[in-house]
Amino acid sequence: MSVAKKKSAPRRPAKGAKKRPGPALNDALAEAAWAEADAAFAAALAEFDALSGAKGAARAAAMDIMAQKLSQAARRRGLSRIGVVGAEEAFDPTRHDLDAGVSKLPEKVRIEARGVARGDNILVKPRVAPVRKPRQ
Amino acid sequence: MTDWTLCIDFGTAYSKAAAAPASAWRQFEPRTVRPLLIGGEGAPGNAFLLDSAVFVDDERILFGAAAIARANELADRKRTALRSFKTLLSVSDLDRALNANAPAAIDPHRLFQMRDLIVLYLAYLLESVERAAAADTLISSGAIARRYAAPAWRDRDSAGMHHAIQRLFGEADNFRAAVGKKLLAPEGLALAAVSTALPKAIEGARPLEMGLVFEATAAAAYSSVGLNSGAAHLVVVDMGAGTTDIAALARQGDQTVELEGARLTLKQAGDFIDRVIANRVLSSASWVKGTEQQSELWAVLMRQMNDIKETIFAEGRASLRHQGRAISLTLKDVERDSDFRAFLKELTAAYDHALSVVRDSAGARGEVQAIAVGGGAAAPFIKALIASKRSKLRVTPRPATPDWAHAGEFQGNLAPVFPQLAIAIGGALAPDAMLAARAGTTPPAIGQTDIPAGRD
Repeated sequence: MSVAKKKSAPRRPAKGAKKRPGPALNDALAEAAWAEADAAFAAALAEFDALSGAKGAARAAAMDIMAQKLSQAARRRGLSRIGVVGAEEAFDPTRHDLDAGVSKLPEKVRIEARGVARGDNILVKPRVAPVRKPRQ
Repeated sequence: MTDWTLCIDFGTAYSKAAAAPASAWRQFEPRTVRPLLIGGEGAPGNAFLLDSAVFVDDERILFGAAAIARANELADRKRTALRSFKTLLSVSDLDRALNANAPAAIDPHRLFQMRDLIVLYLAYLLESVERAAAADTLISSGAIARRYAAPAWRDRDSAGMHHAIQRLFGEADNFRAAVGKKLLAPEGLALAAVSTALPKAIEGARPLEMGLVFEATAAAAYSSVGLNSGAAHLVVVDMGAGTTDIAALARQGDQTVELEGARLTLKQAGDFIDRVIANRVLSSASWVKGTEQQSELWAVLMRQMNDIKETIFAEGRASLRHQGRAISLTLKDVERDSDFRAFLKELTAAYDHALSVVRDSAGARGEVQAIAVGGGAAAPFIKALIASKRSKLRVTPRPATPDWAHAGEFQGNLAPVFPQLAIAIGGALAPDAMLAARAGTTPPAIGQTDIPAGRD
């Protein structure tokens, strides 16, 4: 797999942008990271076939290895998981994806699925559900 | 007056190079850091890495990826490529190592000494670096000062070692000038042409003017560049493939010096962890019986070891397939190993020793930081070590990938590959005052110690 190549992009930066890494360097960095991630993606895809036909322990093992390979590919692209499944946090609509129809925004939520970020940039917010106050 | 500083890091498996403006230390802008495409623009895979390899074929000499591919083709004929330049250049008796004849598996013609093959590789590396610098429109328009990064030499005269390496680079540069771009041809060079040109290049060579930056100092540079107030002391834990080095650096005015008494080298490192993991897997795979099956599984494990280790370090467990069965191993399994526990004890003692030297040096003044570098930087036990409270000193752990590598202008693309390029980048960023030797006659700052050399 390879990222979009911009081989035809002008190499000389525009005036005033002299010191920027430029598309060529950023593309090359991206391609280097993809090269590291490709093998892990390929292994995950191969495991997907094993997963679809397996049952019981074999299915669990295939799922385990596929998840491992996907995580590896993601790490090599600089992606990281955010949040801890089961953790309870104050609800923040900018950082949480509320997976429930509610009439009133909850104060507290529980993380049901982790999110994904690259550096400070959140690509997928952690999926959360409201924590209901225990009845008195 | 130079515009750019270029640093070469010839690593055990791969060489890398990066450039930064000569003013980067005073006025740091992340976007001005330029890792170089020494593998060639458009090359498949990670073009910032150049395979450290030379292969002596029947009638030609091959370099880099072509050398490794050819060696793999001929592996059943017990032919190998020369790869461990860094190990060779780190040995205590360099002259003897350089003057030794290359083994028959590397040079069946018995034409070359190890020195010759290193010079040939360095020529290939220099040509690759020059091609990459020339192709970079920002760098190529300015004057460039060159440096190389090396582990600290500990049991011999560092000035002499630096001079010897400059001499090798000088011979390589002469050979490069004689052969030109043919060095980078995938088909390599004709043996006859090399046999003619190499002796002349070596004979007329003068040391190439290059600065020397120690790897621990390069780590300090990329870790602290751009910070308003760098720490007074930095403890560096560097786990490579062959050794784990603990070093402490102190800032004295605008200089950074290594505290000699702090450095300790452990012979257990990445390769040792590989063996621990492989042995734990073998002992848990009870269905693998007999030497032949065990050897087969060992080979499978070693081929996949980088992936296995990365996953165990990141997620606490890893699984793999072998002969239709799934095998899992957890970090806890590794930590239960008695050899591993002994290593961890030694590592902790070495780190505590470095802190005690820092404490004596610092007089408990100023901030102390710690950083993990090398392949072991991702290991949870090393992260835990530098984050733990181990002495009366307040030690702040620094991230293995500095915050500036996540800067928006890189669009998230530098951070994933930063660990591989870190030493070259740090070496390019370091100001002259942090160098072990400047280009020219400045002797290395570190003199003799009684700690034996020996690292990857």
